[in-house]
Amino acid sequence: MEFGWTEQQQAYRQRIRDFLDKTLPDDWDNIALHGPGSPQQTAYSKEFCPKLHAEGLFVPHWPEKFGGRGGDSWDHFILGEELWQVGEPRGAQYMSVNWIGPVLMRYGSPEQQAKFLPEILGGKVTWCQGFSEPSAGSDLAALRTHAEPVEGGYSVTGAKVWTSYAGLGDYCFLLARTSSDRKGGIVILLVDMDSPGIQVKDIPSVIGRGDIHEVFFDEVFVPADRLLGEIGQAWEIINFGLANERIGIPRYAFSEKMLHRAVERLKKDGRYNDPVIQDRLGRVLALCQAARLLVYKVIDERSKAKEPNAYGNLARWSVVRADQAVNDFMTEFMPDGLLGADPLQTAHHQRAIAAGIASGAAEIQLNLAARRHLNLPGDR
Amino acid sequence: MDYDLNEQQAEVLNGLEQLIQSITIEPPHEGVFVAWGADLDAKVAEAGYYDIVAAGLDLIDGALVVERLSQLPLSVEAAISVLIAPVTGLELPRPFAIASGSALAPARFLPVAKTLLVDQDNQLFAIEVDQANVETIDTLFAYPYGKLKSLDGVKMTPMNVPVADFHRRWRISMAAEAGGLMKSALDLVIQHVTDRRAFGRPIGSFQAVQHRLVMAAEVTEGVRWLGMRAAWSDDDADAALAATYVQDSIPKFCTDLHQFCGAMGLTLEFPLHYYTYRLRALLGELGGGSGQARATTALNWGAAA
Repeated sequence: MEFGWTEQQQAYRQRIRDFLDKTLPDDWDNIALHGPGSPQQTAYSKEFCPKLHAEGLFVPHWPEKFGGRGGDSWDHFILGEELWQVGEPRGAQYMSVNWIGPVLMRYGSPEQQAKFLPEILGGKVTWCQGFSEPSAGSDLAALRTHAEPVEGGYSVTGAKVWTSYAGLGDYCFLLARTSSDRKGGIVILLVDMDSPGIQVKDIPSVIGRGDIHEVFFDEVFVPADRLLGEIGQAWEIINFGLANERIGIPRYAFSEKMLHRAVERLKKDGRYNDPVIQDRLGRVLALCQAARLLVYKVIDERSKAKEPNAYGNLARWSVVRADQAVNDFMTEFMPDGLLGADPLQTAHHQRAIAAGIASGAAEIQLNLAARRHLNLPGDR
Repeated sequence: MDYDLNEQQAEVLNGLEQLIQSITIEPPHEGVFVAWGADLDAKVAEAGYYDIVAAGLDLIDGALVVERLSQLPLSVEAAISVLIAPVTGLELPRPFAIASGSALAPARFLPVAKTLLVDQDNQLFAIEVDQANVETIDTLFAYPYGKLKSLDGVKMTPMNVPVADFHRRWRISMAAEAGGLMKSALDLVIQHVTDRRAFGRPIGSFQAVQHRLVMAAEVTEGVRWLGMRAAWSDDDADAALAATYVQDSIPKFCTDLHQFCGAMGLTLEFPLHYYTYRLRALLGELGGGSGQARATTALNWGAAA
């Protein structure tokens, strides 16, 4: 048991920082404040991601045969920490790197891999996640969007909601059902977002533009070769993807960065010596560091090719708690940051208030950890 | 970064485990607040586990030993001997007691101690304990507590070591000990809510109980990893951070765990208090959560002017 970084890992992290220093524009904070799905950040991501890939830093953890560098889970996570803590210049494309790509590598047909993976590597396509529906959020298996088998493919009719990144999305990782079998009847379709019959409606929200949408499917034709995996395999694929996604965003890194920025401002304003502020700062930093170490345990297991388990749910809860605590501290003691004094504080706030809701509600994480980590009994 | 035990750590823990399994650890007798494991303490001492850090093994090896021993229902004086006393660089007689601020302050383990380590006026002292000068304190805390009756004729030997080093190791020991205590307390309560039924089902099946137990599990893990990292680095800031998290977590952790055991958990026949009342004792050490939190802030961002 040891908690150090290798020289190679330290050099790798420094290389990413140097690249960001060199690449991010002077007005980056003002772009980042709009959020990963915003038109501003999406446009910038299409400029940034090809540069990142040219530097060998877009998908360093992907296998070489798919265009990566064959790096390990730590390469992936160090990259995520460094990018998320500056406000995520990959925009929505972090999702493609984190789990859409790995899912395609594991479950995609050779043709699907040949089409989609190079496009992700090019850094110019955006995927959205067609999971939640008006009556199927946390209870994902209750989804009703219907995929009717027709000649040459499927005809999809239904509605998705809360869909992140749909407004500027090129593809949708869509869950639909072909039968009433709760989990076995679900299929995954890789849908072109410009297909006839798709209508996207932006839902204004407090978490920024481009993050929440309604997506309507009206007899949308999806070719048969866009079915991912086999019939009946969707739930397994979803779980694989979500295992990567639960701790896919190193939120604690951005939160810690906000604390560092907060201290700079507090010192400048002469408020750093306030013992109440000193007390709260120490406590929220401790929460961030605890979350960091729980997440690192998951990454350590992943790097040793251990099977995903419910520790990820526990770690996710820890991350949510830390993110929210930092946000509460900032809002209570530094409200001027939400009034223009620090553009990144608004960006952090908007991500933090969604931390316990996006990518699976925190209560679902607690349910899963109760059953699978603590082995607590069911209700019978 | 590696969360698995290395060969040396596994060897130390395996040896300790064999020793623990070879000893009959009597459950504390009903009606006893303090479960001092005198025989266990002597046997662990005889096997040399209290000396492993002084003998040159890594501090984290010592923290793993402290954590394991803290999981037992009997308290032994492990944390001070293994993790704190070696900063003096001297071979002082154990068991140890510790106090901060005043040599006359209540001190953990004083009624069984041979040496008291105390910081006073920014100087660390070692005091040879004369048990005739010790007043045992009747307390709910599940450690033996006592205080010196008088300093008349007491020799306070200054130690040539910064108080900051003493506090750093104290904080690391706090985290290692709390990690073990929390694990056992949580295991005990999980078993209870699995066996105990109400409204026709195990009480551990209710979501209101499950969620809070997962939260308790999360802080147990946080305490463990922050504590082990601090023991690995032996760094002031890491130690303060770990102790901050420990003391920040203890109140809700203890309250929830007792809550799920109902009135049963308030009785002395149910052993939960042997863990939670050691945790509650740790809660107030070195200035409590606020003291640790402010230290964490100062060590990470600079002291308040």
